[in-house]
Amino acid sequence: MERIDNVFYSYANKSSGLIDPEGIEALCSDLEVDHTDVRILMLAWKMKSEKQGYFTLEEWRRGLKALRADNVHKLKKALPELEKEVKRPTNFVDFYSYAFQYCLTGNEKEKQKSIDIESICQLLDLALGFQFRSQVDYFIDYLKIQSDYKVINLDQWMGFYRFCNEINFPGLSNYDPELAWPLILDNFVEWLREKQT
Amino acid sequence: MSNQKKRNFQIEAFKHRVVVDPKYADKTWKVLEHAIHEIYNHNASGLSFEELYRNAYNMVLHKFGEKLYSGLVSTMTSHLKEISKAIEAAQGESFLEELNRKWNDHNKALQMIRDILMYMDRTYIPSNHKTPVHELGLNLWRDNIVRSSKIQTRLLNTLLDLVHRERTGEVIDRGLMRNIIKMLMDLGSAVYQEDFEKHFLEVSAEFYKVESQKFIECCDCGEYLKKAEKRLNEEIERVTHYLDAKSEIKITNVVEKEMIANHMLRLVHMDNSGLVNMLLDDKYDDLGRMYNLCRRVPNGLLTIREVMTSHLRETGKQLVTDPERLKDPVEFVQRLLDEKDKYDSIINKAFINDKTFQNALTNSFEYFINLNARSPEFISLFVDDKLRKGLKGVSEEDVEIILDKVMMLFRYLQEKDVFEKYYKQHLAKRLLSGKTVSDDAERSLIVKLKTECGYQFTSKLEGMFTDMKTSQDTMQGFYASHPELGEGPTLVVQVLTTGSWPTQPSATCNLPSEMSALCEKFRSYYLGTHTGRRLSWQTNMGNADMKASFGKGQKHELNVSTYQMCVLMLFNNAERLSYKEIEQATEIPAPELKRCLQSMACVKGKNVLRKEPMSKEIGEEDAFFVNDKFSSKFYKVKIGTVVAQKESEPEKQETRQRVEEDRKPQIEAAIVRIMKSRRVLDHNNLISEVTKQLQQRFLPNPTEIKKRIESLIERDFLERDNVDRKLYRYLA
Repeated sequence: MERIDNVFYSYANKSSGLIDPEGIEALCSDLEVDHTDVRILMLAWKMKSEKQGYFTLEEWRRGLKALRADNVHKLKKALPELEKEVKRPTNFVDFYSYAFQYCLTGNEKEKQKSIDIESICQLLDLALGFQFRSQVDYFIDYLKIQSDYKVINLDQWMGFYRFCNEINFPGLSNYDPELAWPLILDNFVEWLREKQT
Repeated sequence: MSNQKKRNFQIEAFKHRVVVDPKYADKTWKVLEHAIHEIYNHNASGLSFEELYRNAYNMVLHKFGEKLYSGLVSTMTSHLKEISKAIEAAQGESFLEELNRKWNDHNKALQMIRDILMYMDRTYIPSNHKTPVHELGLNLWRDNIVRSSKIQTRLLNTLLDLVHRERTGEVIDRGLMRNIIKMLMDLGSAVYQEDFEKHFLEVSAEFYKVESQKFIECCDCGEYLKKAEKRLNEEIERVTHYLDAKSEIKITNVVEKEMIANHMLRLVHMDNSGLVNMLLDDKYDDLGRMYNLCRRVPNGLLTIREVMTSHLRETGKQLVTDPERLKDPVEFVQRLLDEKDKYDSIINKAFINDKTFQNALTNSFEYFINLNARSPEFISLFVDDKLRKGLKGVSEEDVEIILDKVMMLFRYLQEKDVFEKYYKQHLAKRLLSGKTVSDDAERSLIVKLKTECGYQFTSKLEGMFTDMKTSQDTMQGFYASHPELGEGPTLVVQVLTTGSWPTQPSATCNLPSEMSALCEKFRSYYLGTHTGRRLSWQTNMGNADMKASFGKGQKHELNVSTYQMCVLMLFNNAERLSYKEIEQATEIPAPELKRCLQSMACVKGKNVLRKEPMSKEIGEEDAFFVNDKFSSKFYKVKIGTVVAQKESEPEKQETRQRVEEDRKPQIEAAIVRIMKSRRVLDHNNLISEVTKQLQQRFLPNPTEIKKRIESLIERDFLERDNVDRKLYRYLA
């Protein structure tokens, strides 16, 4: 326990008592992982971290205990296992949903509900790129050229994941716009179909 | 006596067999046989009924029934064979007459024979399962006469020939026909049908096939239908006169099939005379005939209805998309009403108010009236025109009739909320300019709208009327409490409740000092009695009556808009004013100011101002003067009324946008209402429920509904079900 805390304090900001973005960057270089790597997001998930860019002591403890790591070396070794764990279907939905909410800014009072298009594109690439490469790439293309929506909300975010899982791509043969898909996906499919003809 | 045992007296049959002398049977039979001969030879008068009866009775009693019966059969048969020869020998016309005569004879004979042989009929025949005498007589007649090889075909042909001749216009002996046919019927329905009816129907079909082909080549639709109707009636009459009543439906089916069903499409679509032409020319008789005839055949009415519907839709579509028509909204709506009247008449007079046709009419109107997005606006303009002047001098009943007809058109509109918006605007203008022909008519229409659409639709409209009334009272109160104002200009204020009236952003406008002082007095009076309210002057909606004197002393009373009044008042203190000066002084926004100046300087008959240069357009550098040469034959001159007009393109866009914006909360309210009561509902059902709820006002776009649902999800009113993506759940 003590060791975990010690590692925490080695990265934490002295005045705030939290690991801040600078600290995370340092951690990342020690882990030999890019700070935009999805594994950091996975780590945040494991910690159930609430605020993007910051780790509290409690979160840190939670994460490292779960990963059975009490130093950076062990932590690094635990990363592949963590990746496997996240990719398990039962966990992935949770992770995917977490990824969105983690990126929302704002405090308790004025919690943001949507994320701007540009950030969404990055997030999609990060969270889903390895699994549904083509869908993600096409969707990102579409998001950039459409003008109906300037932000994406959680409902649409989750809808896209279901879309990737359930709909034949690029055939789209089983997509039924009469069903309750979010409107943005109806428009996406229409755009795709137009391109295909 | 009383104690005696009762003894039944029994009469017992002979215990020994009584054998009758066989010769007795022969003898008895001979007597009867002879009697039958005599009967057939019309010599029955010499016979003793009692004796013959007893003879027959004895034969049966002594077990000679068999002999009697078979004797009857053979005797009758041989007589019939002779009769048959006699009939065959008849020539030409007399064939049927002979047949008829002999048939009557036979029946009489049969009657007598049966009477004589009644005991046998009742005892021997049933217990030996033989055919009863009367029936036997008919069967023998059938087999030996009617179905004899020499007679059968000849009979049929003769009958069919007579029918044919009658059809071609000859007169035939109907009584004789009736008797012969009746004979066949008496012989049994199998005989009637097999030996006559079946062939009659076949031949008739052939006849009508040929005739209908001939007619259709040379007649137009109306003529053809007349002929078909005539034939149909003839056949029905024929049946009443000399055929079995059950044949009526069969023969009418034949005529209907051959003359109507087979040619129906060609008739209905006939160039220059078909259904469409009849509709165009209001040919009620022809249409009625077509309706009656087509009713009789499968899909007949369906065909007419479809042709009428597609014609109506096409005509309607042309009506509403013709650019010429769209120039005059009142004319446009009048044409729609005329078209409706026309078809109401047709359906009433020719189609016996058939409900399916009424529905087809309604559907067609609903279809094309909504093809033009300006229909709601135009209908409101029509009403506006009527309420301003069109209904002047019209009786109360007639007013109601016209308003009811307008309501009919209103019901066809899909976008009733668009109508509401325009109606409000136009009503506001009417009320504020005092230009309504009849208060009763206005109110009557509001009541009708309320009945149709509910209280919500009309509550604001009613609010407008209330405001007018209240304002009158307020004005009275104002002048009562400020008697010193009796000398100055008269102010008439209408205080409008913001929510009820169509909102117009009020622009800047500097009132002349006399007016602004007066207005301030009113403001403080009003706020004195209504604390907490805010008044803002709508200078763009007012008007003024001014007295003006011109160069040669002409005096006129001018009715102008408030803006115009402000401009004119400036000329009390200046001879010449430039555009810029006027703009500065009045602070009226440029587009309105230009319009206002144009109406006073550039319109013949209303040019109270003179402009230099004399161009039509208002330029920034223009100068204005009072037109001393102004003249008008009227003392009172009206300049620049605020009349409701067809909107310009940008105005139209704006209104449409506002309508769309207004729809969003209505859709959301409907979604929330439904979800609140259902708690959980799937996507498709939610869409259809919302559509149903809103259809009284407008037809919501499913995509728009979806957008609203998503918006509500984002705001945590609803959520999607975790497992079944198609379900929505209400979040309390």
